[in-house]
Amino acid sequence: MVDAPLIGPYQPDDILAWEIDGPRTAGQFLSAVIRLADSLPECPTVLNLLSSRYEFLIGFFAAVLRRQVTLLPQSHASDTLRHIAKDYGAGYCLTNPEQPIDGLPCVGLPPRSPTAQWLEKVPSIPLSQVVAIAFTSGSTGTPSPNRKTWRALIAVAQATASRFGVKAGDSRSVVATVPHQHMFGLEASVMLPIQQGLVMHAGRPLFPEDVRTALEDVPGKAILVTTPFHLRACVSATVHLPPLGMILSATAPLSRDLARQVELKFLAPVEEIFGFAEAGSIASRRTVETDDWLPLDGIVLGQEGPDWTIRASYLPDPVRFPDRVSIHDDGTFRVLGRAEDQVAVAGHRASLGDLNRTLLEIEGVSDGAFFTPDAQEDSVTRLMAFVVAPGKTEQDIQQALRTRIDPVFLPRPLVFVPRLPRNETGKLPREALRDLAERCMGKGSPDDA
Amino acid sequence: MSDLSAFEQEIAKLIVQALKLKSDPSAIEPEAALFNEGLGLDSIDALELALAISQAYGYQLKSSDPDIKANFSSLRALSRAIEKHRTK
Repeated sequence: MVDAPLIGPYQPDDILAWEIDGPRTAGQFLSAVIRLADSLPECPTVLNLLSSRYEFLIGFFAAVLRRQVTLLPQSHASDTLRHIAKDYGAGYCLTNPEQPIDGLPCVGLPPRSPTAQWLEKVPSIPLSQVVAIAFTSGSTGTPSPNRKTWRALIAVAQATASRFGVKAGDSRSVVATVPHQHMFGLEASVMLPIQQGLVMHAGRPLFPEDVRTALEDVPGKAILVTTPFHLRACVSATVHLPPLGMILSATAPLSRDLARQVELKFLAPVEEIFGFAEAGSIASRRTVETDDWLPLDGIVLGQEGPDWTIRASYLPDPVRFPDRVSIHDDGTFRVLGRAEDQVAVAGHRASLGDLNRTLLEIEGVSDGAFFTPDAQEDSVTRLMAFVVAPGKTEQDIQQALRTRIDPVFLPRPLVFVPRLPRNETGKLPREALRDLAERCMGKGSPDDA
Repeated sequence: MSDLSAFEQEIAKLIVQALKLKSDPSAIEPEAALFNEGLGLDSIDALELALAISQAYGYQLKSSDPDIKANFSSLRALSRAIEKHRTK
């Protein structure tokens, strides 16, 4: 096989997506893709920031047909977008009219046409074509690129479908609370439904009430693609969700306790996905049953020197695990902890060293350091930061950080201190930072101490 | 010190506690933006806050509510919305 069709086994009148105002058929979708592809400017890459999952997909597939690579920045910080667009040759940006990007021509979707044309044959895409670049959260202004071929996206969608018995043509829908520009969102909430012929909900419900409405709108039992954080909100709120087919959770570890509550309340299995931008989804587990991850079909775990690596036919090179893991004889693995220097907030990973460097580069900051408080289960644990910056205000520093790092990493709180507890070699022991953090959270500013 | 009504002070306290802000609740400007520029809150905070509000006051926020943006725009607007919709 050298190529694979753009979409799964849909008939022209089959519902492919559910927009805010109702269904869109596969025929309407393909016509929209082809009309947009015809009108796109000529250039190698494109930034796609469209907020509707359906419109995003029209833009993504139109670019694929034109052999343009879609850039998927994790951070929408303005500086990051500009750098990525410049460094990777994006000539334009697909975006909502109300969110223009400075210095980049914006292309919107053409108005909807009531007529749907159907093609004799759904276009096929060469498996080796690079269709997207997923960027790993950059903190130094140089996010690292992860090139995704059509083969990689198809393979992960198929492996995920086969793991959970999601069959082509099932009258099932996918509703997702996660962003589609994030690797897990792209794989589980876009490629999985589109390749399996399911109905993709276009929205991104946030509040439990939103999730309920979205689930009620779509036909059939839905697969809910979400995070531990949203699940905690849904369990705690007094909403009654319609019957679900399955829940897929990723971006942060789900506690077994919450998984159990979710399964009891929503009467559907909760499956957790392990993945990261460099490799995509690589393993799954039924959280109520086991702590161990079973690799998806096609994933081979190996060792290179001291590091565990992941190989797959669609990955050009072996990828190192971002976490410390132990691999069992039966092929499953357990995550022991995050590699040193790595932080993760709401599914976004960054290096602590990079974040610290960014903080220190801000004018007026003479010293500073980020700190990760101990994680609280199933909620988003924010970073803290300490800064020595006489004459600067919290607003100055936050504003400077906002343009340079992903907003999820903005420190909360940002604490001004007269000096950092560096030891005689200039190092900042984690214990010393933890003491400082405890003092700050306990009794206001350490200046008062 | 800003001029907060008793209920606004209650909601300010809820915001600071739910979002683990270090700010002094009474230092939140009643009319200042809660999201982005002002307090710098994001969608994760919105969900966290919605959860605290539903637990304390029985008011379920939803994005399809045409007033949702206005309600979340400032401490004063949020307090007014909660007062209007609270069921406990």
